[in-house]
Amino acid sequence: MSRTVLICDDAIFMRTMVGDILTQAGFEIIGEAETGVQAVERYQQLRPDLVTMDIVMPDMGGIDAVREITKLDPGARILMCSAMGQQALVVEAIQAGAKDFVVKPFQPSRVLEAVNRVLAA
Amino acid sequence: MDAARYAALFLSESREHLTEVDDALLALERDSTHAHAHANAAATGAHIATVFRGVHTIKGMAAAMGYAAVEQLSHALESRCEPLRSGTEALSGDLLALLFDGTDLVRAAVDAVPSGRTEPTSAMRAFVLQCASASVVAVPPSVAVSTHLDVPMVDSNVASGASGTTRRVDVRLMADSPLKGVRAMIVLAKLSALGAVHDAAPAQERWQDDLFDGAFRLTLHSSSSDDEITAAAQSAGDVARVVVTLATPTPALGSVRVGDAPRTVRLDARRLDTLLDLVGELVITRDRLLRAIEQSDHPDRAVVRAAADAARLVATLQDEVLQARMLPVAQVFDRFPRLVRDIARDLGKDVQFTMEGREIELDRSLLDAIGDPIMHLLRNALDHGFEDADTRRAAGKPASGTLILRAARDRAAVVIQVQDDGRGIDRDVVLRRAREQGLVDAQVTTLADDALLQLVAHPGFSTAKAVTSLSGRGVGVDVVNTRVRALGGQIDLETISGEGTVFTMRLPLTLAIMRALLVQVGGETYAIPAAHVMEVLEFHGASRRTGALTITVRDETVPLVALQQRFEDDPLAPTAAHPDGVRHVAIVEVAGRRTALLVDALLAQQDIVVKPLDAVRGARSWFSGATVLGDGSPALIVDVSSVA
Repeated sequence: MSRTVLICDDAIFMRTMVGDILTQAGFEIIGEAETGVQAVERYQQLRPDLVTMDIVMPDMGGIDAVREITKLDPGARILMCSAMGQQALVVEAIQAGAKDFVVKPFQPSRVLEAVNRVLAA
Repeated sequence: MDAARYAALFLSESREHLTEVDDALLALERDSTHAHAHANAAATGAHIATVFRGVHTIKGMAAAMGYAAVEQLSHALESRCEPLRSGTEALSGDLLALLFDGTDLVRAAVDAVPSGRTEPTSAMRAFVLQCASASVVAVPPSVAVSTHLDVPMVDSNVASGASGTTRRVDVRLMADSPLKGVRAMIVLAKLSALGAVHDAAPAQERWQDDLFDGAFRLTLHSSSSDDEITAAAQSAGDVARVVVTLATPTPALGSVRVGDAPRTVRLDARRLDTLLDLVGELVITRDRLLRAIEQSDHPDRAVVRAAADAARLVATLQDEVLQARMLPVAQVFDRFPRLVRDIARDLGKDVQFTMEGREIELDRSLLDAIGDPIMHLLRNALDHGFEDADTRRAAGKPASGTLILRAARDRAAVVIQVQDDGRGIDRDVVLRRAREQGLVDAQVTTLADDALLQLVAHPGFSTAKAVTSLSGRGVGVDVVNTRVRALGGQIDLETISGEGTVFTMRLPLTLAIMRALLVQVGGETYAIPAAHVMEVLEFHGASRRTGALTITVRDETVPLVALQQRFEDDPLAPTAAHPDGVRHVAIVEVAGRRTALLVDALLAQQDIVVKPLDAVRGARSWFSGATVLGDGSPALIVDVSSVA
């Protein structure tokens, strides 16, 4: 059975790109969220194997969403999608419970490596 | 990847965000002009967040698409907004105007994408620079972010009581691993799961520094085997090497930190050059391999994976070799304090000279070449820049002038600035002098910074009233400009009357590898340095004005140079290389002047390894060097400044 993924990003562009990379590698995208609040709601409904989380989103940012999701499910596997220059924020996200990170612009091989690492842990 | 679909998504989503950003800026402007501004702190914060998020999202998309202009502009805007968002800077009218301007430029850059123009125009580059220099001031470097992973670090005395042994774990992250400090934290977290980690070198606080290179040592007390420890460290990802050794209990050894005393060997510099040459060729071969895989219909998965791994290793190797050639700019900088002091004393000027970023590293080939240009700029500042003490006092400035020489890293470039707080360049004097020398039309009445730079960098141009022994002989800025260009860099000038002048040189990290546009002319392949290429267009015929050939690019008349004519004295004659008659022009910019180079065909854009050209040294040459292409054939590198 293929692993399920929830993609959280406020940009359709980025959701499409992450979705394409993961779908091609055999993952099933079971949901998308555009805000931190939506991310927490969808996580609760869908209980995906993996969450990809953008940091900058309206209506609760990605880091707060990581905190909320980790509170709901301490075993949640969350991969942060960050940009160069967001080092301090990524540190905060990892402290909040995220398991790994990738840096934009996304290289498919790096995204898949990170996803597999998070799922293997 | 379905490029067209992403391009369409990029356009629609960027425009949506730009509209939101505009609305937020308008709201901010409205609020700031109303008396009840204080009551609206929350609303203001939300508007600023919208602006920040908008440009941040646009930046991310543009980076994914490789749209340089949009990416650089939105990055500049995002950085400029950061102090606003974090509350360290209040919103001023000037800043608001800057944000409006920046948003307009981003929109222009987004709108230019469908027509294939993705590189920044000079106005856009100027804006990026303006933002960069402002944020340097806005964020004091001493503000360090506290970024500590909450992993208990155990005192070594306590740890030695527990079962297991104490091991030293040396970890090196891959050279191309992004955000190395965070990755190191993940390694630390993985190892903490096996036992007690005490002592990290460099200390954990320094992992978030720019200088952290991904090599660190942890001391781990654990009952796990060496293999288990290695596997745990590697599971953090991007780990190039793990070495586990039994820690020697001697306290003296335990306190020695990695990096405190690097072991050095003396090495003939030519060996490094050869090594770099070979790595460069490896890079080219890698690119060929990846392209071949991309173009095959059913690539073998195992081959794809192996090629990706090999590509990563090549990148790491390239980084390591380039790193081995890097030397701190201090090697050049350190002679300046004495020189500046002597010159200032000769001129009877009181100047405080400071240097920043002495530790910034540069390829040694560049290091040799930048000394003279910097010296010229320092001399210029001392000679012309600073007023005498009385004039300064009368203008309300401190009697002693401030001269700053600064080096900083900016992505794949090194930025060197010479900044003075002197009188600034007098635009009126420059303009008058330029008119006398026939360099500008009589109707020109104002000069922007880049036009000003072009004039002061014009060979033989000088406004100095008297020729001094130091500068003012009309050489100086033109020499600097030519040198910096020849190194593949660029120079910018900012000057404010009465407040001072900043010259900014932006240099590549290395001369050995550069991005080039490969073109075909008369059956031969030539490389044009991509740094100079503004755009490429189809050639639809030229017109002849006062004897010279020109083409029209968006209402601008650009002189046309047929490369073949330059190279072979055989003008415009069609050759067998383009039987269908469709040729292209590459629009190149040198010292602010645009020239269209006519070529038979465009081949590719790729990294090339630059080899010096001994054969034609001394002779008049259109070429600055040569390279060997992936298929083993040679190509000459066009010296754009001599051809154009």
